[in-house]
This record gives sequence, C-alpha cells and structure tokens, in this order.
Amino acid sequence: MSPRKLIRFKDMAARTEEPLVSLSADDLLTVPESDQPPLDAPKPRWLETYDFSLDGFSDLDFPKPKSKEEEDRLVRGFLSGLEKLFDPQNNWPFAKIFKLSMDYCVHCQTCSEACHTYVASGRQEIYRPTFRSEVLRRIYQRYFTPGGKLLGSFVGADVELNYKTVWRLLELSYRCNLCRRCALLCPVGVDNALIARELRKLFSQEMGLAAVELLRKGSRQQLKVGSSTGMNPAALRDMMEFAEDDIYERTGKKIKIPIDKKGADILLIHNAGEFLSWPDNPNAFAILFDAAGINWTLSSELVGYDAVNYGVWFDDVELARVALRHVKIAKELGVKKIIVGECGHAHKAICVTADRVLPGDLSVTEMPRESCLPLLRDIVQSGAVKLDPTRNDFPITLHDPCNIVRLMGIVQPQREVIRAVCRQPLREMAPNGVWNYCCGGGSGFAIMSTLNFQQWRVNVSQRMKTAQIMEAFKGLPDEGPKYVCAPCSNCKGALRDALDGYGLTRRHNIQYGGLVDLIVNAMVDLPRPYFEWLPDVKAPD
Amino acid sequence: MFFEWLLVLLGWISVVVFLVVALYKIMRVVRAPLSLRWEVYPVPHESGERRHYGGSYMEDADWPSKYRRPSALGALAPELLEIAAEVFLMKRVRQYNRYGIWPFSMCMHWGIYLTVAWVGLLVLDVVVGNLTGSTFFSLIALYVGPIAFALGAFGSLALAVRRATNQELGLYTTPLDYANLVFLFAIFVAGLLGVAGDPSFLTHGRAYLQGVLTLNPVSVAFAALLPFVLLELFFIYMPFSKLIHYIAKYFTFHQALWDDAFKSAGDANDRRLLQQLSYVVTWSGPHIVPGKTWLEEVQITATEEAAKK
Repeated sequence: MSPRKLIRFKDMAARTEEPLVSLSADDLLTVPESDQPPLDAPKPRWLETYDFSLDGFSDLDFPKPKSKEEEDRLVRGFLSGLEKLFDPQNNWPFAKIFKLSMDYCVHCQTCSEACHTYVASGRQEIYRPTFRSEVLRRIYQRYFTPGGKLLGSFVGADVELNYKTVWRLLELSYRCNLCRRCALLCPVGVDNALIARELRKLFSQEMGLAAVELLRKGSRQQLKVGSSTGMNPAALRDMMEFAEDDIYERTGKKIKIPIDKKGADILLIHNAGEFLSWPDNPNAFAILFDAAGINWTLSSELVGYDAVNYGVWFDDVELARVALRHVKIAKELGVKKIIVGECGHAHKAICVTADRVLPGDLSVTEMPRESCLPLLRDIVQSGAVKLDPTRNDFPITLHDPCNIVRLMGIVQPQREVIRAVCRQPLREMAPNGVWNYCCGGGSGFAIMSTLNFQQWRVNVSQRMKTAQIMEAFKGLPDEGPKYVCAPCSNCKGALRDALDGYGLTRRHNIQYGGLVDLIVNAMVDLPRPYFEWLPDVKAPD
Repeated sequence: MFFEWLLVLLGWISVVVFLVVALYKIMRVVRAPLSLRWEVYPVPHESGERRHYGGSYMEDADWPSKYRRPSALGALAPELLEIAAEVFLMKRVRQYNRYGIWPFSMCMHWGIYLTVAWVGLLVLDVVVGNLTGSTFFSLIALYVGPIAFALGAFGSLALAVRRATNQELGLYTTPLDYANLVFLFAIFVAGLLGVAGDPSFLTHGRAYLQGVLTLNPVSVAFAALLPFVLLELFFIYMPFSKLIHYIAKYFTFHQALWDDAFKSAGDANDRRLLQQLSYVVTWSGPHIVPGKTWLEEVQITATEEAAKK
C-alpha cells in the first residue's frame, strides 16, 4: 500500500494541478484470479486543457477557464445554484429531502462501509459517502448561514470557494453511483447519494455542466433526435426489419415486430442501447411475447422507442420532459399500460420518480407503467410457453440492479423466473437483493467513457461487483460457461467492461446477459441455443 | 428571590423554547412542497415477507389498479417500530459502523433518555405525590438518576475521545460537535456530583421542580440546581442544532425513504403537485427556457425551445 496523504476538506480549494489522491493498484480491493485493468496517468496533452486535480481521472471534457473572469463566473454560478438548491420553490422536487440530509447528518460514518466505491478504492477519503456532502455543507455554512458567517471554522464553515473547489466538486459528484446503499444503512435516514445527485443538478440546471454522455449526447439528443443513441425513427424501423430477419434465421420463427399498433395492450419501451449493443435482448422479448400471445407494440415516435431517462441522475427538468413524452405517447397509442424493458434507471424514472412530475390524467393510475419482470414471471408461470430448464444447464448468478431492486422493491420475480428456467440452483451473490452492491456503472457511469474515466470506473466503482462475481463462481472449473444474469442495460454495459477488463470471460468463461434471454434460451421449440456462447448441439427431445 | 424566580422562569422558558422551535421546524418540513418519490427498500409498511426481504407492491403485475394501500395507522405502526429500534437500539450503528462507536453512543443516548425520564419521574412525583402522598415515582427516580448520569457521562466522554483520537472521525468533527459532547458531559457530571455529594439531592431537585411547576420559587443548594440548569440550557439550545435529529428521523424515513405512495388523478398529492407545477422555473442552465412554469417548461418541444431562445 502506498503511504496515504491526509485529505482535509479545505484541500478541495488547493490551487494546484496535483490530484488530491493518486490511485495505485496496490491500494485497491483484491479481485482474485483476475487481470489488473490499466490504471494510467492522464495523457500529457489532456493536462494542458482539462482539469484532473481531483484524482487524476475525468469524464468532463470542458476546457479549464482561461481567465480570472471565467473562474469568477463559475464561482458565481455555483453560489447561485447552491442557493436555489436550498430554496423550497426553486428546488421543490427534492428540497425537503436534500435539506433534511444536509442538516441532520451526525457524522457517525456508519454509511461508509455501505459504499462499494469507497471500500474498493482502499477507503480513499474523497470517495467516502459523507465527504462531498461535508464539503458542500461547509461551503453552504460559510456563504449562506448566519452561524457559519459568524463562527467560521468553529462550526466547520472553513472551505473556501474558488474555481478549484467548484471543479473538484463537479468531478466528485461523478464519483458516486447513486446506488443509495448508504441511505439504507444510515441510522438517521440521511441520503448522501441524493446530495451527490443534487450537486450534479446544481451544475446542470444552473450552469449547463454535466457529463457529456448524459446531457448533450444524452437527454438533449434524445429529445431532439429521438434517442440518446442518435437513432432516429427511420433507423428504428430499419433495425426492427433486420431484427425480424435475424430472429427467423436463428429460430425459424417468422415474427412481425409490431410498431405503433393502436390499441395494443402493452407499449414496450426498451433502452435503445439494447438495439445497438445487445439486440438479442429486445429480440428475445419479441420471441417470447409472440409465443405467449401478448398484444404489444413498440413506438416509433421521437423518444417513444428509447426508455432511457438520464435526468433521473442529474436534472429534474430533463427527467420531467422525457417522462412526459413517454406517457403522452402511450396515451396517444391507446395502450393499456407501459412496460419497461430490462433497463433499471428507466424503471425507476417512469414508474417511481416521475410519478410526481406528471399531473392528473398522466398519473400512474390513468396510464399504468410497470416493470417487465413481473410480466416475465407471470408468462413463465402461466405455462403459455413451453420451457425446458435443462437448456440452461450452467452455473448462474444474479446481479440485482439497484434501481429495480433496492429502489423499487422488485426482488423476487427475477428469482422465480431463474428457478423455473434454469437447471442449476441460483448462486446468490453476497450480499444480494436490496442489500446488493451496484454494478459500478450506475448513474450513467456505464456510458461515460470520455477522457480516462472508464479506467477509473472499471478499476474502482466496478471492482466490488467483479469480486462478488468471482466469489459466486468460486471453485468452479474455468472451462464451462457461467452466466451473470443482469436484467438492466446499463448494468450489462458495466459488466461487459468488467469481464473484459479483469479478463473474466477469457480466464473463466464468465458470460453475461439479461433475464428474457435466459427464458428464450429455455424455449423447447428453438432449434438451437439462443445463447451463441453455448455449444450448438441439437436440443434434447 | 430574584435568582430563584429566574430559575423558575428558566424552567418554563426551556420547555417553551424547545417546543416552539421544534414545532416550527416540524411545520417547515410538513409544509414543504411534495417531494418526488425517492424510496429505498425494505419499506416497513409493506406486507408479510416483503417487509423483510425488501419487496414491494411493484412485484405484482397490474399494481396500479390492484394495490390497496394500508390505512394510515396500519402503515405508521411498523414504521414507528422500525424507527424505535433505531432510536433505542441503534441497530444500524451496531451492525455496520466500523469505528466501534456503538457502545459509547448507546451509553450517551440512554443517558439522555434516562435523564429526561428522571426529570419526568420527579415531575410525576410532584404532581401525583402532592395529590396522593405516594412516593412511588421518587423511589424509581432514586435509581434512574445515577444510572442515567453514569451512562451519559461515560458515553459522551468516550465519544469525544473516540472522535479526537481517530483520524477519520476527527476529520468530520467540528469544534461545535466537541462542544455539544462537552455540554452533555457537563450535565451528566453535574448530576453525578449531585448524587454523590448530597444525600438530599433528590429532595432538593424535587423541591426545585415543585417550585417551577407551582410558580413558587424555593431556595435550593447550588449543587442540586446545577444539573437542572444545565439541562434547561441544553433544551433551549437543542432545537437550534442538529441534536434534534431524532425528530428529523421521522421525516427522513416516513416522508422520504419509505414514501412509496403513488398518485391518482385528483387526489391530494395530485392537487399539491398541480400547484407546484405552476411555480416558475428559475434555473439558468442553457437548456432551460426562462420565465416558464414547470408545466410549460417540460412540455416545450426541441423545436419550440430553439425558437424561443
């Protein structure tokens, strides 16, 4: 272990380019029988343009300010946003919870051990769930409260606000997966993850600063083009035609994927990233729904074919805009309900969080929106589709997406499906269910890969989950395939990078995928395995 | 008699200030705008097994039409039980805190609870004793007081030492936090010294409280008065500080982490939301069109947005 420098809150204001923390592989949590992913210093040419002074990593490709005026503008913008965060009208969506969390943390640090990032980093102080909250609290006290102005460092109001503090806080708001495991463990009910989210919101809603993948290429692009992937409606239609051909080729089934079908029972909305990165998943939904006789449709309206709602991670206005369009599109189609495909944050955004930004006739009772998992469970249990668990005869573990499990309480349906369609017993991770660890890709990290952020993510925030996977498959021979079931698009993105970065697929034949893929792989009328990594042998009669 | 009257007044002022400020803070939270849903499971008012493994009504298909919420009382009872387990046993601290503060924190908190109970017993003794001549409550107070002071003194001192000697805890502990612990320590030590130094401590304390309750000041030995005076000052100070986190806890859990109520068209939450959607968005980000209400803002299409800027 490298010698640890004592970090103080006031160091956040240090006018130096030297990172507060230098990560070394020796400090990080051990992942047995794995490769060490690269952990490089930023490229010298980046250092001239971008700020890496938090921990040597960044996703934020905003150039450093070039003048004192630019620096001052950032500081003024930050102070203005901070004031708004505490104002009950300006920040009505979260001011109450935010203020309670800011006012009543007793600094017992019980939450620290809940945080996979903090623990996996070798307990680097800046990643502790309370660190960024405390910096923000001290700034607020110093600049806004009479106690802080009067008593200064006696009450902890001792963090100076300058450009470096603002920038490091911006970076630090993107070192938390918003998995909210810390809130689960807090004895006072303080939510430090919400504070991180509100900090991101301050930067986005007041200053237009957010990870480029979330705002500019994310929700902005989704609202303009139709999808954060850049896919427009015409491209979607083309892809679905291709998907029909692919399904026919692989399964012999001639399926027409319904698009914009008025009066269907279900509007199915996928994370559009699935169409591009894991098309087997939406195709599996089509195969299963067709076999089960479900009356469903996709939408080709702008935004209607992409379930992502990145605003839930950083911006209330963007959250409301996307949610509103999803529900209005469903209303116009005349469907009975919206079913969200395997995408965790999209689940939480439209089923839970956005419930209270949509008025009257867009309420959940007027246009229901539900998770796909109970529906999948019901299809499997109904017997409408013939399934053979011996087709899924490999060790399997289940990753619990935080947004679906801890933050929505959907715990058992996916387990009931696995028990019904797999031959081998489920190897639960420890801990699991609502006490699970985040995949490390949560809150947008899975899609953030500007500059050298991906290295940080794979090495730090994804480390705990990787260690859990290794533990779940401990003692098994390397050769046979093993499956990590992750019913969430962003979790799969994170797993893809982790399995690759730590060499788990190459070394241990660990595969990953969704839940519906597993069901379809068990369908008896498929001529060959749906999973392409399984040997192509004739299925037993 | 001026000093004695002052002490009587202090007794009443401490209660009034505590209640008024605490109530003001509670009302501010109660009247704050309806937050977006932000729950974390397990939610204690969920039914049966779900309460334990963290399941929710969203595990069922068609929940928006099928789910029937428990009554307000039915939902509140398990929540209060869970909060009580945290208040009285600090189970999360015991299970997850790696700094070994649980025994110290338990001692300090139980010191506070029992000290308040001790004052309550003396008040009851004054009221009931005067009416019936019973000494039942003072007999219990005789044992509760020393236990409370000893636990509290040990707990507050040990916590202060733990925070001062552990670099990580120390980083987050402000001089004000230490002052709070010292304040509590002083109350408990004053109580201990009173108990140890004066065999009539309880009688004097009871006499002081009787004076406060009947607005009939009496002259009482300083050593017997000191813990009461410190406690009264503490009660005046407490609602202004984060030391009333035990009240905040109800709201952080009940109105945030466990608030899983979904909204129907026209219900109370929907009406509150409609009002909130009429607030003007004041944020200045480049993707926000200025001067619009929330409802207008979120309905603006990309084309309209470009045109209006």
